[in-house]
Amino acid sequence: MTRLSRASARNLFLLVPPLVVFTFLLIIPLGNVLDQSFRHFEAGGIGASDYAPYTLHNYAELLDRAYFFYFAQTFRLALISSVISVILAFPIAYLIARMRSHFWRGLASGALIAILSVSTLVRVYSLLLTLGPVGFGRPLSLFLGLSPNSATYTELMVLAGLVYFHTPVAALILIGTIQAINSRLVEAAQSLGVPLWKSHFSITIPLSLHGITAAFLISLSVCVSAFVIPLVLGKGKVLFVSNLIYSRFSEVANYPSGSAISIVLLAIAIVLVTVLPWLLSYLNRSTVAA
Amino acid sequence: MTRVLDDTLYALLLFVVALVVVFLLMPLVITIGMAFDARDYLGNFPPRALSLQWFKHFFSDEFYMNGLTTSISVAVASTVLSTIIGLTAATALAEGRFGYKQALNTLFLSPLVVPSVVVGFALLLFFSKIGLYSGFLPLLGGHVIITLPYTIRVSLAGLVGIPRSVKEAALVLGANEWRAFFTVSLPLARTSIFAAAVFAFVFSMDDVAVSLFLSSVNTYTLPVAMVGMMRSHFDLSIAAAAVFMMVVMTTLMLCVDRLSGVNKILAGD
Repeated sequence: MTRLSRASARNLFLLVPPLVVFTFLLIIPLGNVLDQSFRHFEAGGIGASDYAPYTLHNYAELLDRAYFFYFAQTFRLALISSVISVILAFPIAYLIARMRSHFWRGLASGALIAILSVSTLVRVYSLLLTLGPVGFGRPLSLFLGLSPNSATYTELMVLAGLVYFHTPVAALILIGTIQAINSRLVEAAQSLGVPLWKSHFSITIPLSLHGITAAFLISLSVCVSAFVIPLVLGKGKVLFVSNLIYSRFSEVANYPSGSAISIVLLAIAIVLVTVLPWLLSYLNRSTVAA
Repeated sequence: MTRVLDDTLYALLLFVVALVVVFLLMPLVITIGMAFDARDYLGNFPPRALSLQWFKHFFSDEFYMNGLTTSISVAVASTVLSTIIGLTAATALAEGRFGYKQALNTLFLSPLVVPSVVVGFALLLFFSKIGLYSGFLPLLGGHVIITLPYTIRVSLAGLVGIPRSVKEAALVLGANEWRAFFTVSLPLARTSIFAAAVFAFVFSMDDVAVSLFLSSVNTYTLPVAMVGMMRSHFDLSIAAAAVFMMVVMTTLMLCVDRLSGVNKILAGD
């Protein structure tokens, strides 16, 4: 045996443990969900039996208005919160990216990372306390003219939760983008008599557009599959698609229906993470070429 | 005129940034403050007097401690498994010259794309199909698959950074592949491997979605216990639990940051 082929034999051997784990803990379970999603639902037991007939009912059901509402709600809140996150993150990222002192820049982005490293559940609970009974729940809802228990206030809490989680992420993405822009461009525009705000709108923002789209898409894809935030802050009044899957398991024990929703959510996630960025960069390239 | 407008807009910008910073920090300040509240009911922030009663409650409550014990055992076991399996995958990816490398890379990072609820739901169905209804193993399996993308990615970053010539030197001097790996690559990549392990531990401790599906009456993790408490009796022992988690996780993350810079890992490739 040559040394090279011995090395590649070793590599194949090394790939065995991860491949076994991925096959049994990801591929087969997901394949099973796909199979279940086409099965006829019978009450009792976890999962449909192996003899349950195939049907499209679980998917057809999702077109129903009651289900469509949850998908629409998820998308609406995910979209609004991603837009808000990016808008709030941009000025923060700009200030950090343009800091003169290396030390303060490191400290500021370090603070953003520190917030991100706090456990998800801890952050959600903190928001629940802050926007709920012990924090500013009462004054805030009075100010907005809403009851703290109303559906609208709950929806606003979920929205605040999504923004809370994704503003630091968006800011970290945008810092790199803005740092890459030559600050002399804005200075040049200014020395030609263009007001600063106008030069930002015609230089800084257009040049950081790819970073803005990246931050927006990342936020959107994570928000669409959000689970803990609506679970805790939504208090059962605001349900995301993820929560619907959980309730299929915990409340009604309808596994085929839960499987169909899972497959749809997975498809949405794949489109948002892979297809959309590819499409955007393709469109970008073709407009540059034109 | 332009100057005035610019200055006003700049002031407005600073104001917005200040508001966002307050919005980001306030909840954590409130939680930390409330965890030390001396009142035994849910009063308004800030607490009038401080006490450690909620921490005492947290550490003496069997429900929480059972969750904490399970969380730590699941996190330790899944960290060990995930780090070793991640290292084997990363070694193969770093050194192998095979055509389907890109496909494998995609497969190994794919749990990041699959929503965690879908992972939890799929594993629940799969485990009950093979007769694993409850206990430690389902949780362990779930935590291994959600931490693997991180351990593979972080240890791969460390292994790729080793110059080829160093290992080739060992081979030329007569070491075989295994010896070269254990005496050259492994020690050189040890910081990344350690970082990978800490990441696996943190993400395992942090998980809610997958654990919620795979928990049972007797075997549940601390976050699952906390979610349960938020639903049943909403008292400040949850704040104490939250502060406890915050301290543990922040300490661990600071360790990794000292070693390798969390920045690079979170920012992706």
